[in-house]
Amino acid sequence: MKKKLISMLLAAALGVTLLAGCGGDDKKDGQDTPPATEDGGDTQEPADVEEPPAETGDQEVLEFYHGYYHDESEWPAAKVMRDLYDEFAAQHADGPVVFKPIAVENRDDIVSTEVAGGSFPDMVDCGVAVPLAAISQNLVYDMKPFIDENGLQAAVGLNYTQNDVDGKIYSVHDQMESRGMWYNSKILEAAGVKPEDLNTWDGFAQAMEKVRGIGDGSYGYAAGQGSFIMMNAYMASTEEGRAVMEADLTPESIESEAFANAFKTIAKLDQENGSDHTVDDLGLVMDDFNKAGTMAVLPNGVWNASGIDEGLVDVIEPMIFPGNVSLSSAGAGLTIANNMSEAKTELALEFVRYMTSKEVAEKIFTGVQANPCNTEVDLNALAESSGNPATIKLAKACTMVNEAGTICESVAFIWGSDVTAAIQNALKECAVSGADIDARFEQLKQELTAIIG
Amino acid sequence: MKKKKNRLGIKRQLFILAFLAPTIIAFCMFYLYPIITVLATSFCKWDYTNIQAPQFFGFANLFENYKYIFDTYPYFWEALGNSLSWALLGVVLQIPVATLIALAFSRKGRSVKIIRNIFIIPNMISSAALGMIFLQLYNPSYGIVNPVIRIFKEGFTDNILLLKGPAFWAMTFSYIFFTGTTTLMILGNIMAVPEEIKEAAKLDGASGWKADLYITIPMIKDTLRTVSILSATSGFLLYNEVFFLTKGAAGTYSISYVIRELAITSPRAQFGRANSVASIQILVGMAIIFAINLGYGAVGRRRLKKGGSL
Repeated sequence: MKKKLISMLLAAALGVTLLAGCGGDDKKDGQDTPPATEDGGDTQEPADVEEPPAETGDQEVLEFYHGYYHDESEWPAAKVMRDLYDEFAAQHADGPVVFKPIAVENRDDIVSTEVAGGSFPDMVDCGVAVPLAAISQNLVYDMKPFIDENGLQAAVGLNYTQNDVDGKIYSVHDQMESRGMWYNSKILEAAGVKPEDLNTWDGFAQAMEKVRGIGDGSYGYAAGQGSFIMMNAYMASTEEGRAVMEADLTPESIESEAFANAFKTIAKLDQENGSDHTVDDLGLVMDDFNKAGTMAVLPNGVWNASGIDEGLVDVIEPMIFPGNVSLSSAGAGLTIANNMSEAKTELALEFVRYMTSKEVAEKIFTGVQANPCNTEVDLNALAESSGNPATIKLAKACTMVNEAGTICESVAFIWGSDVTAAIQNALKECAVSGADIDARFEQLKQELTAIIG
Repeated sequence: MKKKKNRLGIKRQLFILAFLAPTIIAFCMFYLYPIITVLATSFCKWDYTNIQAPQFFGFANLFENYKYIFDTYPYFWEALGNSLSWALLGVVLQIPVATLIALAFSRKGRSVKIIRNIFIIPNMISSAALGMIFLQLYNPSYGIVNPVIRIFKEGFTDNILLLKGPAFWAMTFSYIFFTGTTTLMILGNIMAVPEEIKEAAKLDGASGWKADLYITIPMIKDTLRTVSILSATSGFLLYNEVFFLTKGAAGTYSISYVIRELAITSPRAQFGRANSVASIQILVGMAIIFAINLGYGAVGRRRLKKGGSL
């Protein structure tokens, strides 16, 4: 009898434990969440934290996920961005909604996961294009009426045209992904190359050959991620190429001459440049350019200005791509959930207005060293007044990108990340000496046709 | 009397059921349900257009996703081939290496304990961190692999991770020799072999490697079977190494990586197609386990025929 009782108790305990484990936490979300600090102090939370609460006392909470989680010593610009967010939070601390910025490393994973479950975080500074699944489920807010009603077209700049999806704007990026090239004048001089020689793709190829001839360990450029950027720029240099770039990838565009020429030209350049200078992520070789000074050309964003070593600041200069082309993409950026309360939506829109304002744009330019989306800011005047050589270089780079003969959006945002990965892998494989570029291109065409199928 | 016996029998069954219930419920919720969902949705159109409501293809087009994966998707066969190769290499390379190391560690020696502890340290490093370490080792500019290759092939400057063929092996070597857990499992079993059997073998003239081959290894056969299954399945499910080292370039896609590509990387969130690959992964995984069991069973029966132990 005693045994039976103990057995029953044990079974009951097991059952209760299981149910407790499966049961949700029905504690009212938000009861123990501190509001944003009034003094603009750091309210960031570590990456991958449990979803924070939705309400604080009587106040609702607008959660804003962003990717500026880096320590100040690692990337000072991240702190500048966090300070901007905290300033906004402090300004609205007494309102009906608390603004809560949350720094995470995996914002896009958070978005993917939530979208797969049929929801969207309150507000996210998306790193990649807003998922089609979010749009098709009507999970994201259309900001176009707000922008139009408030005359914010100039404030949002390129976002207004590039992020227009069937007449709706789901995301606004406060800074542009503006890309051109940076070159090391000392290496070019040693190779007997003038900067203007890089104005055409043929000239660029010859210049890289001369750089390889120096033989002091200097090399041409960072291929891999860089090659994909260059391929974009090459395509943008012809009318047919631009037409291919501006629309979704189709079987016709895969078969187009512009696409083939761009791929094969860049693949050939890559092969001559060598697979030992081919990387997935430009970040892996940035020091070669910015600190060691062994790379002649870096195809990268204007933001590279902030990474240039003091000792090299006099020899590193910005330029645009051969063919008078620059790439400037609004990218994704601030995206708002569609199903929030009126008060939360209002604050989210106010935040968009704040982040695209002239005052914040100036801080983004001088503090983050990025190209702000607001077109009303006089970048050169700001740079001159700052007196900072890196900021002056940044202004020069931004002006060159903004005034290029052809400004195109990167196809990474139009064709999607799976297509981008396939092209990038094919380019990387072509960088190996002796690789058959034509055969690899034929294979790539089949891959892309299948991927978009 | 019989009725009372029956009642006791039912009560006994109920008790067993009560004890098993939590496990059965947990199994159904956390294993069975996801597996059934994966299998069921592999026959559905499920992507960004209908993310909340997978749509059954109907019996006429039941295998639509599978057709796409088998006939159209460019990376499936490459991924399946690679994943199967990694599963096989787990059994034929990783397990023999781990067994040899475990046999060496089972010897009595002064520094064996220290070496054993040192050997397990890399197991504390995550595969992500190892991936980053190997990325540096294989770096053609400053890694240590290219200078070694240059001893045999002068002027070699290529990135080994971009060469079709070598990239596969470079990736394999980045994980396959980290056998810490497997070695410890085998070692634990070797230590459990009764001393009297070893002594009897010694008296019969079997010592050193002969004793290992004819006494120790047959005695730990069940553990070898278990670690073989673990090693093969982890090789078959390889993901991190692909992500950190090549992103699938140079013919290094794996099945797990393909699932991620379809479900997460693709902006069209192709969950249905990803789940058809996952279904194949489950089925092939089960086949691998079955084959390993069959293989060990056949070896056991052959030994029994020859008069050895099972």
